Amino acid sequence: MRQKKPTLIITFASTTQAMAVEKYCTENGLPGRIIPVPREITAGCGLSWKAAPEDQQALTDALQSSGLGWESMHILEI
Amino acid sequence: MIKVNAIGDACPIPVVKTLNAIRELKGPDVIETMVDNAIAVENLTRMADKKGCAIQTEQLGEKEYRVTITVGEASLSQATDMDAEVICDLPRSGKKNTVVVISSKVMGHGGDELGTSLMKGFIYALSQQEQLPTTILFYNGGASIPCEGSVSLEDLQNMAAQGVEILTCGTCLNFYGLTDKLAVGEVTNMYAIVEKMTQADLIVKP
Repeated sequence: MRQKKPTLIITFASTTQAMAVEKYCTENGLPGRIIPVPREITAGCGLSWKAAPEDQQALTDALQSSGLGWESMHILEI
Repeated sequence: MIKVNAIGDACPIPVVKTLNAIRELKGPDVIETMVDNAIAVENLTRMADKKGCAIQTEQLGEKEYRVTITVGEASLSQATDMDAEVICDLPRSGKKNTVVVISSKVMGHGGDELGTSLMKGFIYALSQQEQLPTTILFYNGGASIPCEGSVSLEDLQNMAAQGVEILTCGTCLNFYGLTDKLAVGEVTNMYAIVEKMTQADLIVKP
């Protein structure tokens, strides 16, 4: 059985936005990865950004300053 | 009354033993088979139904069942060639041999950028399933996914740690110059790829 742990999930209004964030984060060495939006969340498009909860501030700052934005942020046990 | 002891025997042995006992009967008789699991009882019941025999089942203990089959004249004269493996719905007792085949870096046709994100998502979601596949095969464009620098590496390593066999086409690794970059699983060849695919119960190809 997999171990579940608290995880930060950031959702986006569109797939294009999610993919732009993936590109931006990868190029700028920001933590996290793209995953399909977990079943527990019904918001946003089908793709989301997954990272550790402690990275929330750094990601919030980066997405704000880059102007890319996001739709919602969640901390989930997955 | 003929007694058959099939305690400790896994399917299809209890059915095979009982069928053999029926075959040796010279006239109508009663066969009493002892088994230790409910699946064997189910399979014996199916066998008796097919042969038109009356059947009685008693659970004597947690792991002890007595199955009494009354073999009449009609059942005796009936063709006795029965395939025990057909009666014993064997796949139900074991895990389905599922093979996931990844032949490209992208999932589906259309935009490759989207397809790449979808494939990453597919592999992640695959790694989160309760029932993991038996084998994952990577070839052609898919061969770079189990290699160094791939974002799916973590998912593949998780699955490998849980016993999923991960095989990547050696010809493909060589063609793309990735031979020394493979980071999870084993290198394989076309014979093994064909064998895995032809022996699969289910092939999943995103």
